[in-house]
Amino acid sequence: MSDHDSVRDDSTAADSPSSRFEGLRTRVVAHLRAVARIARWEVSRSAGTVDRKTIALGLVAALVAAGIAAGAVGSGVAIDQNLYRVGIASDSPYYDAVDQSSVLEPRPLSDPNVELVVSETHISVADTQTGRAAYQAYREAVQSYNERQMRLEANQSAAFPVVVTLQYRERGALVPAGSRVDGGNGGSAVSGDGSGTADGGDGSGADAGDGTGSAGSGTGVDSSDAAAADDTNIGASSLGGAAGLFGGDASGSPASISPPFPFASLVLAFAFLVPMNFVIQAYGSSILNERVNRRGELLLVAPISPGDIVAGKTLPYLAGMVGITVVIAAAIGGGPVSVAAVIPIGLLFLSSTFVGAMFARSFKELTFVTVTVSVFLTTYTFVPAIFTNVTPIALISPLTLVVRDLGGDAVSLGDFAFSVGPILLAAIVLFLLGTGVYREEDMFTQRSVPLKFLDALDSRISRPRSIATLSALSIPFVFIAELLAIAVLFVLPVDVTVPLVLVAVAVVEELAKSMHIYAAFEKARFARTIRVSLLLGALSGLGFFLGEKFTAIVQLVGLPSLTLGQAAFAPSGIGLATAAGLLVAPLVLHAVTASVTALGARRGKSTYALALVGAIGIHVVYNMQVVTNLG
Amino acid sequence: MITVENLRKTYGDFPAVVGSDFSVESGEVFGIVGPNGAGKTTTLKMLAGLVEPTAGTAEVLGMDPEDPEMRRKLGFLPEESPLYEDMTPRSYLRFFADLYDVPRDVADDRTDEVLDRLDLEYRDRRLGDMSKGMKRKVAIARSLVNDPDLLIYDEPASGLDPLTTNVVLEFVRELRDEGKTVVFSAHNLFHVESVCDRVVILNRGEIIARGTVPEIRAEHGETTYHVYTTVELPATDDHPATAPEGDRFVATVDDMADVEALREAAESADGRVVDIRTDEASLEDIFLRLARESPTTSAAEGGRGRS
Repeated sequence: MSDHDSVRDDSTAADSPSSRFEGLRTRVVAHLRAVARIARWEVSRSAGTVDRKTIALGLVAALVAAGIAAGAVGSGVAIDQNLYRVGIASDSPYYDAVDQSSVLEPRPLSDPNVELVVSETHISVADTQTGRAAYQAYREAVQSYNERQMRLEANQSAAFPVVVTLQYRERGALVPAGSRVDGGNGGSAVSGDGSGTADGGDGSGADAGDGTGSAGSGTGVDSSDAAAADDTNIGASSLGGAAGLFGGDASGSPASISPPFPFASLVLAFAFLVPMNFVIQAYGSSILNERVNRRGELLLVAPISPGDIVAGKTLPYLAGMVGITVVIAAAIGGGPVSVAAVIPIGLLFLSSTFVGAMFARSFKELTFVTVTVSVFLTTYTFVPAIFTNVTPIALISPLTLVVRDLGGDAVSLGDFAFSVGPILLAAIVLFLLGTGVYREEDMFTQRSVPLKFLDALDSRISRPRSIATLSALSIPFVFIAELLAIAVLFVLPVDVTVPLVLVAVAVVEELAKSMHIYAAFEKARFARTIRVSLLLGALSGLGFFLGEKFTAIVQLVGLPSLTLGQAAFAPSGIGLATAAGLLVAPLVLHAVTASVTALGARRGKSTYALALVGAIGIHVVYNMQVVTNLG
Repeated sequence: MITVENLRKTYGDFPAVVGSDFSVESGEVFGIVGPNGAGKTTTLKMLAGLVEPTAGTAEVLGMDPEDPEMRRKLGFLPEESPLYEDMTPRSYLRFFADLYDVPRDVADDRTDEVLDRLDLEYRDRRLGDMSKGMKRKVAIARSLVNDPDLLIYDEPASGLDPLTTNVVLEFVRELRDEGKTVVFSAHNLFHVESVCDRVVILNRGEIIARGTVPEIRAEHGETTYHVYTTVELPATDDHPATAPEGDRFVATVDDMADVEALREAAESADGRVVDIRTDEASLEDIFLRLARESPTTSAAEGGRGRS
């Protein structure tokens, strides 16, 4: 074989699929090893920064917290444990009711230090406020005891002869005419024909008829449907008692009916967020520590990539969060759904902190960043979960899935994707953004946070098509911001809310489409010509349009069934021609408005701001027209 | 070993490095000299793959500076030595050895040897409790943990006391003797003269002189002649006047023609030249003169700079 042939054969061998796969495998293994080394080092170094006294104190605090949590889980949080003393004979038929109450403490009849005495024939109440409160507590304890006993009866029809099905409804103002509200699990429910149910067996038969949704008619609802009704977002009644806290009992007395507020599930779900707020403090410090005095420079010159460093430094904290989440889930009865829903929240906490630590110029600024991240993300995840049983908007927070999971409710794949998808994507994009400035030229400069943000955007731009990619990648943030706007404006009258949402949507989307173009021009990435501006604007509009199509996922959870959802996202229930027009129109809109802002951005900050206002105006007018014309 | 062609780096409108061209041969100590803000550190960081050039090319060890494989063969010592202060020298060096895939026992032997040579006893003391000189020695040891072919040292003796400076400079010479290639920046020109085989002088991002120190001296330096005579001579068009110094007279000139003129004048006055002493310009003198004459001095005024 000639030399030429030999070379050609080698080349062929080098390009073969198996060799390419081998090369890929080698690179992946090398990256994983580098990540593992950095992670191991991060753990050992972080451990070295904490002295023994702090470790001991932390362990004690963790044990105390675990004890309290275990107590709360086992018997509920009872700061009023044995608050009232009741004199009662051990053979009294009421003794068990008193003994089983957490508030009451049974005492012998001879004990003079009691608020209440229960004898065979009468009840003596101390003529004090405490005595009267003790009597009230005693009555509630007996009532609860009786209900518990009734539930133990084999013949439930005899125990609870009257069946009342309660169904909580959204406010009428938010229900589009002719639509049904079935708890939000129904898919395209706007048509009002009752055909669109996605959750199966949720009582659609009862709802689909006339669209008025008359509660409690019981038509077509058998016992299984009634039970399934508890799975809906709007939720059935929640009855008193410990189990009622988790989403409602099947039986009880009318007096024990409580609103669909999953208090216990919420409290327990909140437990997942608490550790995250502490973990990000340590994580943010570790990232910023690399930037102080150029300490991390030597890692950058080692044969590892910035991605390896970031992944390695993040991994221990993520692993810690996952570990804590699993432990908490096991302690409070959460299942895999809870864990899978909480991990993206943890990732978002970490990614936000990472970006903040990459932008902060000092530990003082980092404190501001971590507190902001803590407050915002805790609010963003916790507050919507309060409305778990009220509105599908609650699904903007993955914690809603946790509340559902703890309440024993099913979580559909669509719900999960809708709730977790944007959070997960946003976390990934934030990590990418932060890693973009994890390099010598950006890490150690003392530029202001807004300028660092522009640097981070610019770091992901290498050619015009990067503009389209970044626009598409902004969709998770746009989605979160728009959902947040809906959630915040949700309480206002719909006549006010819809225009405000339309403006908010325009502002969010125009910013998302233009900030990276402005960053690219500011960093002299492209020539500041009209032609280039128009090209970048068109690419940004196209990228955003394509990314926006991912919002179709909202159709899976019935959010468009709300008027607000229609205002923020693509409306449904329209003709084919209109739908085709609506497919093209947003593309034109995004391209036009992005071009307007790009033309402004090429001239500098002031003209960019002016152009942005103009683009927002165009966008608002467009939104108004769509909503008005499509009703 | 290193080839640099038209290497440029600008920060905004500020030209930190303006079209550098040079090459570094294997086994030499190559100096990059210049004042603060001359572009030394930026040049070294571009060679180490830390900073992306705005234009031009740099090939280091036959590879792109950003190639991780190149970094495996590189030992980099930045101007500052910010170490992880909660670590000990041993744990710190083991960690970096691990990043370079150096086995633990090999790394321990290698770093022990280097630290012995640098006379650093404390291997298990917290780095935060060490002096600046000790930390610098640990940083130097770190740069050698992967047994690199090329060492890029940015101001290795910066801020150190004279004793430690001598240890470090002597160590650099030893590295050269072992066959390592060292690229070495300094603004203390004495350090450069005492260590470097070849140098480039940077000013405002531009190379204004290059070569061995003697070559630069020959090309850019001025030799001064002190001519001692037995008689006093007045100034003429051909030579300056002599001035009394002890029992002799002396004139200082910078041209051999003037020396010859003084000799002839002394003999005409029945005297003679009894001694001629020469002063060669130091690198520092040359640098200061070139910096003053550099046309780029005003061009880069007012910009933000990195040294």
